[in-house]
Amino acid sequence: MTVIRRLGGWALRAGVIAAVLLTAQATRLSAQDSQFGIRGLGTPGKLESVRARSTGGAFAPFDAFSPLSDAALADVRRLSASVTSGITWRSVDASGTQSSLQGTRFPAMVIAGPVTRRIVVAGGFATYLDRSFGVIIQDTVNLRGVPQPVTDEITSDGAISDLRLAVGARLGSRLALGVGLHRITGSTRVTARRSFADTANYRTSTAKDEVAYGATGGSASLLFDVTSDLRLAGWFRSDSRLRADVGGHTVSENDLPLTYGAGVQWRAGAQASLAGNVLWRNWGAVQSIANAHDTFSWSFGAEIGSPASPFRFGLRGGQLPFGVGKTPTEVGYSGGLGRQFAGGRGRLDMGLERLQRRGTGLTEGVWTFMLGLTVRP
Amino acid sequence: MTRRLGFLVLLVAAVGGGAIWACVEQVTAPGSCPNYCPTDSITIRDTIFTAIIQRDTSFRGYVPGYGAEAMTAADVPGIVDSRAFLVLSKAPTRVQVKGGDTTTTPIISDSARFRLSIMRRDTLATNLRLRLYHVPITSDSTSTFASLDAAFNGPVVDSVNLSALLATPPSIDTVRADSLERRFYGDTTYRDGAGHILALRDSGRILDVYFHFDTLQAPVVEADSGQIGFGFRVAADSLASIAIGTAQSTRTAFLQRFFHHTIPDTVSTQPDSIVAANQTQTPAFDGFVFTPPTPALDSNLAVGGVPSARALLRVAMPAFLHDSVDVVRATLVLVPVSAVQGVASDSFKIVVQHVIADLGAKSPVDQTDAGTAVIHIGSPDTVNLEITNLVRAWSLDTTQTTAFVIGQVPEAASYTEIRFYSSRAPAFRPGLHVTYVKRFRFGAP
Repeated sequence: MTVIRRLGGWALRAGVIAAVLLTAQATRLSAQDSQFGIRGLGTPGKLESVRARSTGGAFAPFDAFSPLSDAALADVRRLSASVTSGITWRSVDASGTQSSLQGTRFPAMVIAGPVTRRIVVAGGFATYLDRSFGVIIQDTVNLRGVPQPVTDEITSDGAISDLRLAVGARLGSRLALGVGLHRITGSTRVTARRSFADTANYRTSTAKDEVAYGATGGSASLLFDVTSDLRLAGWFRSDSRLRADVGGHTVSENDLPLTYGAGVQWRAGAQASLAGNVLWRNWGAVQSIANAHDTFSWSFGAEIGSPASPFRFGLRGGQLPFGVGKTPTEVGYSGGLGRQFAGGRGRLDMGLERLQRRGTGLTEGVWTFMLGLTVRP
Repeated sequence: MTRRLGFLVLLVAAVGGGAIWACVEQVTAPGSCPNYCPTDSITIRDTIFTAIIQRDTSFRGYVPGYGAEAMTAADVPGIVDSRAFLVLSKAPTRVQVKGGDTTTTPIISDSARFRLSIMRRDTLATNLRLRLYHVPITSDSTSTFASLDAAFNGPVVDSVNLSALLATPPSIDTVRADSLERRFYGDTTYRDGAGHILALRDSGRILDVYFHFDTLQAPVVEADSGQIGFGFRVAADSLASIAIGTAQSTRTAFLQRFFHHTIPDTVSTQPDSIVAANQTQTPAFDGFVFTPPTPALDSNLAVGGVPSARALLRVAMPAFLHDSVDVVRATLVLVPVSAVQGVASDSFKIVVQHVIADLGAKSPVDQTDAGTAVIHIGSPDTVNLEITNLVRAWSLDTTQTTAFVIGQVPEAASYTEIRFYSSRAPAFRPGLHVTYVKRFRFGAP
């Protein structure tokens, strides 16, 4: 009877929190865009909260509000919800052509709460692949024997989201396990427009459509406390093929990568923690894309100060899955602050991240300001 | 307390700033192709559909010559001799002596002023002369070139040399010179010693010619109820062709008659009084006749002539033009059988109008022009009519009737007619030149 009452109360509070957060931030659910994702399935999202991302992603496997690892949920002691938002400023240098871009994203949300002393259930979303981009291509085509300048604008607005239902359980004082079910879904509004310099004779052609994406996946992870200060993490994830539908017809199906990684966290006293992790994804298995690459990424970060108001910083490096020729690389550094309020029932996290991406003929520099809010009613 | 306040300020600033930044979105950049552009690209195709026009035909009889907004007087040796004429409406030949008294007295014509408007002329014509003749007041729609030939070869009522008149020093109305009226009504007039006045309208494109008639030139015949008919011929060293405004236009001809009548003294206490007045007569009928007449319809597509002919063309739209492409340009290609002969100023416009329901000759059409082209006299060139909007509409809406009519503008105002090869002539049949964008392959990586 007690369990049923707890479940009912949990469901009610979770519903209220979800409604409030979704109402307040019901806009695009995306990570940061990149030109490197245009010729692939998209730009992989970062399954990290602001806290984890401020440390370069190093704390993500140990952070219950980062959707990367399900086992970390086992540490949640009361119903909590967390949302992440970010504003990016991106400068693109494509073979000497410079452009400045900007976007606002809400890449992750997690709601988690214990249903028993040892079992925690969580739900939420994160960005799996971002597919928001726009390219303008100017060209001259020969029409009716006359060179005709044309301007093409191809835009895609949307993302593929990862809806997660996960369970984290503590099996002992040292070991926690987590499993998750993932529904990968989302859509993009796509537009292809061609306009002509000769507007007197040629009409602008505009094609619009909506592409719906769908796949399913599963994940498993564990946390193992070697000592009270040293914790190890490992995780694995597999997804089905990603189906793209236009108007109810499947237009393409693509493999999604296996994901696996490991991390370590060390508590260096009461006011300092260090963490690092490595991550592999075999994007090269996406057969339909000629220039898909397996990726490896790493991160290292630290959290210093009292748990109520820590200072964080971190480094990350890795590769991007799509790019012509050599695998594009990504290097970044980040820092941030956190602050608890309302007697620990709320926490505000802020972070700033700088990323530098390099590929054949293309360089991107990204500044991202992140803001995260966690509440524990 | 201070720390809490500081943190609150920080929170508000962060959330507020985020809300402002959230409104700005810019994700479009110049593409670095092909490496960092979508796999698919916008593909354009250009195709001439040679067999897409089917069941095309022409019908004649839409607008008769007497229903046109202009009538042509032309004399182009070897090509056409066109003569215009009009019959003025009836007018009172007697007036009542006084109110309430049925006694009438005849009017005595003093003079008349007659105006006609030349709507179009060839400005390169030299020694352009306009001659007026009397024509029978019975002239009507049954009149032919032959039936009126005697009248047009009779005595000349009046003649004016328009070229000479335009060469005389103009009289400029300085009051109107800088006014808005000048642009509408003109301010420049020319006159000669014979009482002819020529006024320029519409920046000189329209000529209003005023004639001064005496009682012999414009007699009042009581038996004819005051009706009188005039015919018009032109002559010039070359390029003798003008269009005269009709009752269907905004500048119809009219005659203003000045007359007097006498009111007899019935009580012998005062002498008879003379009353001067005037009245205006406008055409009851106007039209024109020409030789050689418009040839009969044949297997080609006729547009123009008198009575006017229109061509009805039906388009068999391929299925793929409906659902898998976006038409960006569509041009109807028509090959003339021969160049239209005449004077350069007789060049005319043809228009394409969408057929709302295909009922053959009596198909209702959308009055909006879907395409226009100017047919130049003497040019045998292929005629291209841009009908992009029409074909785009057909492409998007499969319920629309895929047919259109080609007509002349203005209709039946001139002897000119163009004939295009129809689908019965395989080598020269009408075609539709379509430029289209293929559907973009969305959803592919």
